[in-house]
Amino acid sequence: MAILEEPIKQVLTIKNYIGGEWVESKSEKILDVVNPATQKLLAKVPVSTREEIDEAVKVAREAFPMWRNTTPVARARYLFRLKELMEERFEELSRIQTMEHGKTIDESRGETRRGIEMVEVATGIPSLMQGQLLEDIAVGIDEFAYRQPIGVFGIIGPFNFPFMVPLWFAPFAVACGNCIVVKPSSEDPISQTKIAELSEEAGIPPGVWNVVNGGRDVVTGMLEHPGINGICFVGSTPTGRDVIYKKCGETGKRVIAQCGAKNFLLVMPDAVLDGTIPACMTSFFGNTGQRCLSGANLVIVGEGLKEHEFNAFYDKIVNAFVKAASEIRVGYGLDERVQMGPLRDKEKKQRLVGVIQKGVDEGAKLVLDGRNIKLIEKWPHDAFLNPAVFTEVAPDMYIGREELFGPIANIMRAKTLDEALEIIHNNPYGNSTAIFTQNGKWARKFIHDVKVGNVGINIGIVAPMAFFPFAGMKQSFYGVLHGQKESIDFFTDRKVVIQRWF
Amino acid sequence: MEIVTASAAVGYIGKVEENSAKLYENLAQKHAEDGETFLSLAKENRRNKKSIEYAYYGIISDKLEACFCFKNLDTDNYSIKTELPEGIGYPDALRKLIDMEEKIQKFLLDAAKQSGSLVPDVSWIFERVGKERTKRIAKLKPLLDKVAR
Repeated sequence: MAILEEPIKQVLTIKNYIGGEWVESKSEKILDVVNPATQKLLAKVPVSTREEIDEAVKVAREAFPMWRNTTPVARARYLFRLKELMEERFEELSRIQTMEHGKTIDESRGETRRGIEMVEVATGIPSLMQGQLLEDIAVGIDEFAYRQPIGVFGIIGPFNFPFMVPLWFAPFAVACGNCIVVKPSSEDPISQTKIAELSEEAGIPPGVWNVVNGGRDVVTGMLEHPGINGICFVGSTPTGRDVIYKKCGETGKRVIAQCGAKNFLLVMPDAVLDGTIPACMTSFFGNTGQRCLSGANLVIVGEGLKEHEFNAFYDKIVNAFVKAASEIRVGYGLDERVQMGPLRDKEKKQRLVGVIQKGVDEGAKLVLDGRNIKLIEKWPHDAFLNPAVFTEVAPDMYIGREELFGPIANIMRAKTLDEALEIIHNNPYGNSTAIFTQNGKWARKFIHDVKVGNVGINIGIVAPMAFFPFAGMKQSFYGVLHGQKESIDFFTDRKVVIQRWF
Repeated sequence: MEIVTASAAVGYIGKVEENSAKLYENLAQKHAEDGETFLSLAKENRRNKKSIEYAYYGIISDKLEACFCFKNLDTDNYSIKTELPEGIGYPDALRKLIDMEEKIQKFLLDAAKQSGSLVPDVSWIFERVGKERTKRIAKLKPLLDKVAR
């Protein structure tokens, strides 16, 4: 089967998009963006300077009065146009994600669809942004509340979903009448450049939608800039908690920090294996395990089983899981036969090679060694790992406790659902979890008791739609309001008016 | 060719629908007496292709098992041929068309069964388009009866 045509034919020079202009950075520090599957150079991206982020914030603030006075209906129409352009370029946008990130084409198209879904929902802003009114709080006196835009927001994107994640926030911020400065991950910045190009083509006025590429200096510049009213961040817990959340607290900025995860998937004795195993493969190895909703620990639960029955059930699940994982086809994501792509870069692979060794050293049993590389077609092995599976993993081992962010699955056992819940609750993260069962009572108890933000019942990747909040608890989330539709409250101030006419 | 991903399945069946449409359009030119039937089948092929792509592109999401939804679905087992041999007679051509439609139907229904709730919208459209093949076969059989008499 042929590789789908690559949309990037020559090395791109990534520019910043500031005030409606494509501006070459003055920075001397330039990074390479490399296709992780082929190791071919795709683009050169600048590590922009503090002055450049300052300039972007300045033009965003200048554009704000004009944009906030553009009616919600008119703002929605700009977004309708943006959505149309994204639909027209759907396939190109998807293939770019595969090229710059490594994910499979199915996964990239899924990311594009979910990104567009955010824009779609944000086009409903004339309804979504409405306030409230009560006539006659006393005779002849009315009270009402508006939502008003606030100013300028910074959006800091992660490498694992280069297209979609900034769109959890950007279209809602803009629809509400704010201006934005997006900092894409410097590892895969091309998707956000393309989105900015489409925002320009859609006619969104200069200064409303800005993109500044870079690293720590740009983030620090955003965090310290008094002209930025709030920050949306998706990334690791140490950065989200110790840098973003802390600094936003110090500078009085609003903050949404969606952070790391260690997600537990429970398999109950009555789980339907034909559905459970593919769902687990998607959850543990989809996006090459590089997502905050990925399964990390599979807990096989022996609720209601005698010991010998539980042992037999455990073996059955382990065998089915390991067999399916060993058959996953790994390769370049633009090959439609491929089910799992490479890691984003070779440094990430090297880190995970070390993590696998750490698991072995801790005493877990490596039943499938992903370090043995087997690929569909010949590609440089630099960033590739195959799926790895550990059994006999204790929850307090490094591999059982910490976020690994790669295609490594740990299998554990719990005698009862209560014991499984205790294992989950002893972990500091609370992003996502799932239970595989046909038993309504177990599922209901799980939904009710588990202290985790996104809960799946027979769903391995609990990715909330744009019109629901993207939840998260404990060390997986810092802030009050979440991304997606709920962010409308984040991006607006409430103004309450009590009115009487003499 | 073994198919394991939704992308490969949708791409494959899209090509089958497009190539079938071209085949029917050619036949409509060659056999004007049955041209209307062939053109309606070609039109339906293109509508099917659109419906399948719309279902896939409309719902594709990381919460669905698009990379893991097919097992042992090998196109070689169906031998779907959307071309007719040079110089084939009309009755044999019609027999081959019926055979082609039956094989496409089997492929679609098998694919629908395998993908089930993993990519439910794609599975649903495969099943619908597959079942509708029965009507297409019912349109072709009278043409064969007519010329084989």
